[in-house]
Amino acid sequence: MPNDSRGLAKAKQVYQERSRRARQLRAEGSRVIGYPCVYVPVEMLSALGLVPYRTYGDIREPVTEADRALPTSFCPFMRSCFDCALKAKDDFLDGMVVAHSCDPQEKTARLWESYVGYPYFHFMDVPGTVRPEAVEYFGGQLSDLKATLEAFTGQELTVERLRSAIQFHNEQRALVKELYELTKPAPPLVSGTEMLQVVKALMSLPVAEGNDLLKEVIGEVQGRTTGGPELKPVRLLVWSSTLDDVAIMEILESGANVVMDEGCGGMRAYRGEVKLTDEPMDGLARHYMDDITCARTFRQGADGETTKEYSQDLEKRFGYLKDVVEEWSINAAILLLVRYCDPFAFEVPSLRDYFDAVGIPSIYIEYDYAEGALAPLRTRVEAFFETIG
Amino acid sequence: MTKVLLTDVDGKVLSVVKGPTGPEHRRLANEVMQRALEQANLQLDLVSYVVATGYGRLNVPFADRRITELTCHARGVYSLFPHVKTAIDIGGQDAKCMKVSHGRVVNFAMNDKCAAGTGRFLEVIAVALGVKVEDMGDISLRSRKKVHVSNLCTVFARQEVVARLSEGEKLEDIVAGLHDAVASRVVGLARTLRIEPDVVLTGGVAKNNGIVRAMQEHLRCEVLVPEDPLITGALGAAILAKDLWQESVARGERAPTELRRLKKATFFT
Repeated sequence: MPNDSRGLAKAKQVYQERSRRARQLRAEGSRVIGYPCVYVPVEMLSALGLVPYRTYGDIREPVTEADRALPTSFCPFMRSCFDCALKAKDDFLDGMVVAHSCDPQEKTARLWESYVGYPYFHFMDVPGTVRPEAVEYFGGQLSDLKATLEAFTGQELTVERLRSAIQFHNEQRALVKELYELTKPAPPLVSGTEMLQVVKALMSLPVAEGNDLLKEVIGEVQGRTTGGPELKPVRLLVWSSTLDDVAIMEILESGANVVMDEGCGGMRAYRGEVKLTDEPMDGLARHYMDDITCARTFRQGADGETTKEYSQDLEKRFGYLKDVVEEWSINAAILLLVRYCDPFAFEVPSLRDYFDAVGIPSIYIEYDYAEGALAPLRTRVEAFFETIG
Repeated sequence: MTKVLLTDVDGKVLSVVKGPTGPEHRRLANEVMQRALEQANLQLDLVSYVVATGYGRLNVPFADRRITELTCHARGVYSLFPHVKTAIDIGGQDAKCMKVSHGRVVNFAMNDKCAAGTGRFLEVIAVALGVKVEDMGDISLRSRKKVHVSNLCTVFARQEVVARLSEGEKLEDIVAGLHDAVASRVVGLARTLRIEPDVVLTGGVAKNNGIVRAMQEHLRCEVLVPEDPLITGALGAAILAKDLWQESVARGERAPTELRRLKKATFFT
């Protein structure tokens, strides 16, 4: 029986016109809150009926307006995000929640707030470690966010509302994991390019609509007999700060099947789940500190010990990747960073040591966050595939 | 530069032609090919397999296969220096460092951020100093005291050099300092790969004996340079073409070849 599900086509359409649904919802009276970082607890936005909208930069848009504040030697991703904001590309946003994921984001947030001016703007601190005290501190940050959100909406963020939102977002996490199961076969049933389109679509839609889309996509992909990705000699894991444009994914997929994207356009926001604790904010704080694996957060083998084994340290920091490598039969990894991304770049030597230790060839590539500057990326990617082909 | 190198089935080089790659010439790989064929006294339809490499590899319409310059350089260098473990190529556009095992690239690093540490760096500053780039090596060997030059930025280094000249520093000391700046930058890039001898240096910059000396100082080991360091990429491409063709013949199939018509590239990707 022919599969008439159109989930992937819908996801692609949302990807291509990301703000369309948000604009429509706003015209119907909803309020849309932008957030540029995976550490922002979207559950709290959804619980109050706000539409969380993940803001990205745009590699297809040359940076011009941002030049008046940020020099060219700064994080190209933040420059691009800020440029888009100054050009009013996200003019449907009623507000922003920005997290201290890294210094460029924190400092850009200040400018964002003062140069653009939103009805609502909240900056939240994110601890740099995952120790118990840090989780407690992050809990306090969530309480601050709760207070400003309540003041902005004039509604109370009740336990019931939050629990319900957490359940919706947990369902989304489970569905994304289910979809990633479908990259396990060889060839995968769904391509890295399609996954990126789906994930970016999810981050542009209200959670319930995202879940409906995911169910449709999963049904379509499970029933796929033709039209899926071709078998490529390399099963690739991408570890990225941000990989948010299909032009980049298509370069990678010219010689590989991208079966896992450990980045903000892939799995990062969907690993683990929020435990439904008596006080739901506790579960939220723990999830964001424990389950999100972003290079900006420090983890170590054993807190407080004076001597530590390097291998034990690597295992603590990157052990989750070994399971991914095994389960997805990955045979190569690309560490793909936007230029000047220091928090990620400092993680690279250790991560490459870890990939060496588990026998996975890896390459570290920086790219300019600009569509016109992808030729060097292509050369490096192709050369890497030639070394392992 | 656009280079064409033809070999026979035994790997013997039949002809080598180097032509400039300007904005227009980039489309004219066919003309360089034509000259190479004339030099070898061959007709195009006798060529069994063509591998294109380098940034222009997509602009060679008569190529059967496109392989990156990293793989091709490593193969070319290995054919000349079978003990090579670290190959460094400094060209006009970029610098690349390769860890090589039995002629295959196992790891590589390329300069990412700018033109500092490439041939372009030396070209720009040669103009400021009023010397020919090909004379810089010999000039620097006269130096007794290197002048420190920043290795971070071509534009600033140019200003720095003009300032040093006005302060009365000797030309040879400044040029020696420039070579040191390029060498330290490139060796820094190579260090990320854990350098092992034999180290082979190729690319146009390898013709500069001052750079070779500076590289040896930074690496603290001998640096080998092929007789013609400009053509190792083309040589590797030709050897890979020969291997690919022979493998397909051994499998009893004919390698898929493009229709052999020399035409201008009409696309840019």
